[in-house]
Amino acid sequence: MKNKILFVVTLIVVFGLGLLASSVINRKSEAKYMYVPQVDIGENEPRNAEWGKNFPKEYQSSMQTLDTTFTSFQGGSSTIDMLEEDPNFVVLWAGYAFSKSYKQGRGHAYAIEDVHNSLRTGTPQSKEDGPMPATCWTCKGPDVPRLMNEKGIGEFYAGTWAENVSEVVNPIGCADCHDPDNMKLRITRPALIEAFGAMGKDINKATHQEMRSLVCAQCHVEYYFDKNKPGHEGTSYLTLPWKNGTSVEDMEKYYDDIGFSDWTHQISRAPMLKAQHPGYEVFLTGVHADRGVSCADCHMPYKSEGGQKFTDHHLQSPLNNVANSCQVCHREEATKLIENVYSRQRKALENRLKLEAILVKAHIEAGKAWELGATEEQMKDILMDIRHAQWRWDFTAASHGASFHAPVEIGRIMGSGMAIAAEARVKLARVLASLGHNQPVPMPDISTKAKAQQYIGLDMDKLNKEKNDFKNNQLPKWLEEARAREAKMGTKKVSQK
Amino acid sequence: MIHIKKLSVLKIFDKILPEKGSGWRSFAVFATACVFGLGFFLMKEAEVVSYLSDNPQACVNCHNMTPMYNSWNHSSHREWASCNDCHVPQDNIFNSYYFKAKDGLYHASVFTARAEPDVIFMQPASIEVVHNNCIRCHVQQVTQTKYAGFIEDHQSNRTDRLCWSCHKEVPHGRIHGMSSIRYNIAPKPTDQEEMVVPKWLKKEMETNN
Repeated sequence: MKNKILFVVTLIVVFGLGLLASSVINRKSEAKYMYVPQVDIGENEPRNAEWGKNFPKEYQSSMQTLDTTFTSFQGGSSTIDMLEEDPNFVVLWAGYAFSKSYKQGRGHAYAIEDVHNSLRTGTPQSKEDGPMPATCWTCKGPDVPRLMNEKGIGEFYAGTWAENVSEVVNPIGCADCHDPDNMKLRITRPALIEAFGAMGKDINKATHQEMRSLVCAQCHVEYYFDKNKPGHEGTSYLTLPWKNGTSVEDMEKYYDDIGFSDWTHQISRAPMLKAQHPGYEVFLTGVHADRGVSCADCHMPYKSEGGQKFTDHHLQSPLNNVANSCQVCHREEATKLIENVYSRQRKALENRLKLEAILVKAHIEAGKAWELGATEEQMKDILMDIRHAQWRWDFTAASHGASFHAPVEIGRIMGSGMAIAAEARVKLARVLASLGHNQPVPMPDISTKAKAQQYIGLDMDKLNKEKNDFKNNQLPKWLEEARAREAKMGTKKVSQK
Repeated sequence: MIHIKKLSVLKIFDKILPEKGSGWRSFAVFATACVFGLGFFLMKEAEVVSYLSDNPQACVNCHNMTPMYNSWNHSSHREWASCNDCHVPQDNIFNSYYFKAKDGLYHASVFTARAEPDVIFMQPASIEVVHNNCIRCHVQQVTQTKYAGFIEDHQSNRTDRLCWSCHKEVPHGRIHGMSSIRYNIAPKPTDQEEMVVPKWLKKEMETNN
């Protein structure tokens, strides 16, 4: 009898435990289907629309970067022809492709199109042709990590710009910053990781708040193409010059030490540096960075739709969204806050224009000195001064938000730029006098973009016509290739797993 | 000692188990092992050990907590306070675990019975705990005596209502329940990946030079 009872009791206990176990397993598998996204996003999925199926709010807000209606004092989302606005640029960049065309880019969604349109990318007639390396694509979209994964990093940089027109077709988007498994922020561009390494830092130690700026710093930074990287000689290897630090002087020393120059100036023959867009480096020197504010805090603040709070992926000027950016911390009227920004920018611009004017004169006077037979020895110091002064000018001008992000630092840099440029002109006056020219050097009329470009000898009609031909003939063929390639990619529904 | 212990355990077994040599004996041993085995399996499946930790990911073992986990994960409290810091008393370790066990068993029973509501609200006991925990960290903000002089009803305002009567968004947002999130992108308890460089890129960079 005792045994029979024991048998029944055990049976019931085991049955009960089994039920409980089955319930736990059931509820756990529910979790797998609850809130489960529509599609499976592969590693390095380049098509933003695929991610958008799972994250429609973020995707749709990112598509708003297509809006080009906002214009601020110094920027906004519309195309601004910077050479038209300030023809000094043409002379300052004489001999460099930036003198042909330099436009303020539109939002992220136009990243690819703006590159197709730029005169700087040339008019390649075949995949091996053209002035630019594949490296120029590095920041333009999530196809790049895909290609780097497929080919290798050095192998990607070693290609041509033209051969990647049919490959890099998705503008800056999801995979550039997000891990497809859990949406955590990640770094997909090796240059930033390598730059951290060069400074003796490990980017994997970055906090989440730092990551909210570092994903931007993958691109919005100063860089150059290192042609002598060991193991990659001859390749335009994207490198951030951060080994000595990220200040304007640190990077200048880096370039001077390795004897790097982006180009030789057409008029003054100075070995020039082009500051690209040191947005992150300048931001780091400002008060917002000092208080621990990240790029995303102002450029992609939180937003609420239908009770769901999410990060606004409409990356734009915070001045077009003061309520959610500035006013979260600053209890002031929007008009006042905007005026605070503009007044800093106006004051910085005043000095920037003065520095530009000195630099333009220095280039033209140096040109005159060469014309009168100056020697390399006489000109050496002067050219280095011009290089350093223009590097400082470009550093303040090239990252568009600089005069707001760090107004004091920008004032400091422009001040030192003016001192160096003025020194160069004193030396030039002596050289010119020693060559028998003891009077002002006549300055050309560069009051418009067209006049300035004519002065440095650019045939703009020809360049524009060639670009149009490229866009009408070659470009559509390559884009068609891309469409055919992407059509085969398909979608992986989660239920097919 | 060990020997004696062993003997007394055996004695209990002898009392319950059928006589040695009887036909039931081997089956009973087998059945007992089944019970224990199933018990361990259950503990593993239910991630029992994770509940001893302070890791918020233990709370999303149950998918009902996903809205709370996600809203907390997007709040500034994430940087400073885990689930337990607010929802479990922090006055002493015994009280912490006692309350956690009590609350946890209640949750587990409701969840197993499939009786959980779509929108979850705190029980009175929990309200008291959370309120005390708000004050625990923010004591300086709520006891500034200088405010009593110039803020009307400062004393009563801060004593006769709850913190979240006004701070409704902190930290889970105003909208509660399943509808407040769309997809679960909360890391699973098994995700401990701390790297921000994807694996493929790390590999590429190693082979690059």
